[in-house]
Amino acid sequence: MSLAVQVLFTGLSAGAVYGLVAIGHSLIYRLTGIVYFALGDLIGLGAFITLFVAAGTAPLTSETVSGGRMGLAIVVGVTACVAAGGAGYFAVVQPYIGLRSAIGWVAATLALGFAIRAVLDAAFSRSAYVFPDPIPFHRLGNDGLVKILGAQIHVRAFAVLGVAVVVAAAASWILQRTWFGRSLRAIADDPEAAALAGVAVERTRALAFGLAGGMAAIAVVVAAPGAPFETGSGELLGLKGLVAAVIVRFGGLWSAFAAGLGIGVLEAALGTGLLGHFQASADYRELVPIALAILLLAARPLRSREAVE
Amino acid sequence: MTAVAAAAGRTRGAVRGALADARRGWSPYATAGGALAVLAGLAPFLLGGAIADDTLATGAYEALAATGLALCVGLAGVPSLAQGAFVGTGAFAAAHLLRHTQAPAEVAALVGALAATALGVVIGFAVRSLDAVRVAVATWLLSWLVALALGALPWLSGGAQGLVVPTRRLLGFAPTPLVHYELGVVLTGLCALALVALRRGPFGLDLAAATQRRPAAAALGVPMERLRVIAFAASAFVGGLAGGLLVQLNIVADPTAYGPLLSFELLVAVLVGGAAVAFGPSAGVIVLGLIALAARGLGALAPLSGSRFEPMLEALLLLAVLTTGGSALVPATLDVLRRFGLSPKKPRRRVAHAAPPRRAAAALRARGLTKRFGAVTAADHVSFELAPGTVTALVGPNGSGKTTVLRLLAGAQAPDCGSVKLGARDLTLQPPSERVGAGVVRTLQARGTFDELTVLENVLVGVDRTRRRAGALRTVTSTPLYRAENDVARGRAVAALEAVGLEQKAEAQASSLSTSEQRLLELAAALATNPAVLLLDEPSAGAGDADLQRLARVISTLRDRGLAILLVEHNLRLVNETADTVVLLANGRVTATGSPEEIAASVAAREAYFGRDEPGGA
Repeated sequence: MSLAVQVLFTGLSAGAVYGLVAIGHSLIYRLTGIVYFALGDLIGLGAFITLFVAAGTAPLTSETVSGGRMGLAIVVGVTACVAAGGAGYFAVVQPYIGLRSAIGWVAATLALGFAIRAVLDAAFSRSAYVFPDPIPFHRLGNDGLVKILGAQIHVRAFAVLGVAVVVAAAASWILQRTWFGRSLRAIADDPEAAALAGVAVERTRALAFGLAGGMAAIAVVVAAPGAPFETGSGELLGLKGLVAAVIVRFGGLWSAFAAGLGIGVLEAALGTGLLGHFQASADYRELVPIALAILLLAARPLRSREAVE
Repeated sequence: MTAVAAAAGRTRGAVRGALADARRGWSPYATAGGALAVLAGLAPFLLGGAIADDTLATGAYEALAATGLALCVGLAGVPSLAQGAFVGTGAFAAAHLLRHTQAPAEVAALVGALAATALGVVIGFAVRSLDAVRVAVATWLLSWLVALALGALPWLSGGAQGLVVPTRRLLGFAPTPLVHYELGVVLTGLCALALVALRRGPFGLDLAAATQRRPAAAALGVPMERLRVIAFAASAFVGGLAGGLLVQLNIVADPTAYGPLLSFELLVAVLVGGAAVAFGPSAGVIVLGLIALAARGLGALAPLSGSRFEPMLEALLLLAVLTTGGSALVPATLDVLRRFGLSPKKPRRRVAHAAPPRRAAAALRARGLTKRFGAVTAADHVSFELAPGTVTALVGPNGSGKTTVLRLLAGAQAPDCGSVKLGARDLTLQPPSERVGAGVVRTLQARGTFDELTVLENVLVGVDRTRRRAGALRTVTSTPLYRAENDVARGRAVAALEAVGLEQKAEAQASSLSTSEQRLLELAAALATNPAVLLLDEPSAGAGDADLQRLARVISTLRDRGLAILLVEHNLRLVNETADTVVLLANGRVTATGSPEEIAASVAAREAYFGRDEPGGA
């Protein structure tokens, strides 16, 4: 029982970040019909800019960063992520939308991702970094842990989950209730009609790209202090988010979020060997969701042959 | 003894024919390509050790893998991001075989290639009918799956240290980097030749058609899904071969070397060099090699390893190529040469028209065809027969189900119930490609020409459906039977063009034709599949008066040749001029059948078609 609770909370807090990335992937796909392969690296960029503002390129412990500076760092990091997301749209997506060949945007978004990764690698040369903690969780509970149904749970898990739910709810509110959200949905429906109705299609899309990046960056910054963060971590988060988005077929906001949570829990369960009694299951932790996503892509009920015409 | 002599004679003849064909097809490009290949082979000696042999050999194998990727990207137009995974699969399959058995080096490389091919077939099958976005996502996920699997499964990858691979003699030589390099150059050259052969043959033509206008290619029966699986398999085979050899060059199979970055780099090489030209991918790999040198220079400025800058420079280069209109290195060079008049004049061979073998005339019978879309019954127990040598017009108001019936006949949709039979053969469950093979072909209401192909090539896509000896393997090896069939195919294409009166424009670009000529071209392409039954969906759309006359003449001629023709038409003039029988459809039901005169005279028919005159209505 305690193991199951442990798995559940560990998984949910990891999955919450995947979920936010999945929302970003899903939103972008429905807006533009493309997959933004650079999204994960953009999130990594946001995280490392935060780290840079908070502590420079040298690894520091949380004690040496003041709350004010950490707050500034988060604001700068997330803002940079939003800006980079929007700029990325104009640089590597917009020129290729609507072209018959998909190779242009596939290659361009990948190139942006690898370029960001390379910049991070050049600037942050250690293999992994410890993030300063925005909230001093270790002072809460029993050195940052609370006991629930016999399981030791990090307080941080609740915070990450809470922040992610709040961010997702905010995104949902923006999509449903604001003029910006209505414009987005209009574009997703029919870009040309939206343009005729007076929606500034390009600017709105760029904003959405920024929003997608910023949303996930917030969650990452909250979650990152829990474990060592590498320059490639953003890329991996982007991948997990993509897997979640694929599993719900780039569906609605909450289903993408739920898929992210599901993948987090599945990974945690496999990681602790909770599922299946074979010892090797931990090794397959990251492989299973990806294989599942490929299968789902392939098993997608074929469009009726008519739809091709 | 005589049998042997006869066989020898045949062989001599075949060789002579092949040589003659090669001489005819020879161009300055071929000479330049050969010279470049020889130069590449001599590179280690010419460079005098400026670049280490093993660096060169690695580059040669990367060029091989990239040329393999071009089969997918250049020919099939599919954004495959899995080539790194195929290389990795080949590498580790070969490594395990070498460690656990006494298998020779070549066998290990081949087994690596086959292992990668198996993976290629699986992923190719998985994405065979997906759109480009999903293909990119699926292959990207596969790339990560293989990379993460190598990282997570030490029994597979040997853990962080990788697997040490025993070295064996390679083709009878000590396996020095130089031997590996020369082998890599030869294999890349062969792969580039295969790429050219495939591109020029039916395989490349069909894929080009399917990439340009998929519905039209499907209507002509192009088995797009099978071609895609083959492209993935071939691409994976070459990638796996490169991996199986690369791992023997490196002596260690490094689990981190075959990740998404490799897939990306190979894609960059293909796109930077040129995906559709033989030496494009190799040129791209050379450019990447220069970039690696530049990165090392940058790394020396900052106290960092140059490899950290490499992906960034590659990404920037790719973005530069993409933003400057996407013209890759080799095609751009060829363009420049062409501008200076250095382009080879392709001698056009005159081809005599060749009539296709007559297909046995057969009637197409629809029985009780029914199709519902939710609450709407688009076709409601529709039955009629298309007899050989007759034109049947299917008329009715908008939304009466004409196009649905045509789709059910052509196999673009499956009926809820009812059957479609050609002669004695039941086609009800057959997909369009099978029906085209059986002799039932349709045209589309929407425009369906392949604009980037010539008029003749458009029609050749249809002819390809009648070819029996044009598989990928025969094409690559250019067998005598394949070459003989090539001439016949061109002859048939010319015959189909003559049937619609477009033979004078055979070499024109399809996009240069007028709208009504494009309609005729679609008709010719359909005709080239050698059908017994021709289903025409509003062929008169956009036609002027003169065009209509021309169309009516063509349709009448085809009828007189014994084809069974279905005409879905709005234009009653064309119907009256050509149709023997008119089938009137309203709300998915056949409400009247008869000669054009009978239908015109029938009050019920007029009401069904033009609506009832409401008494007292405004």
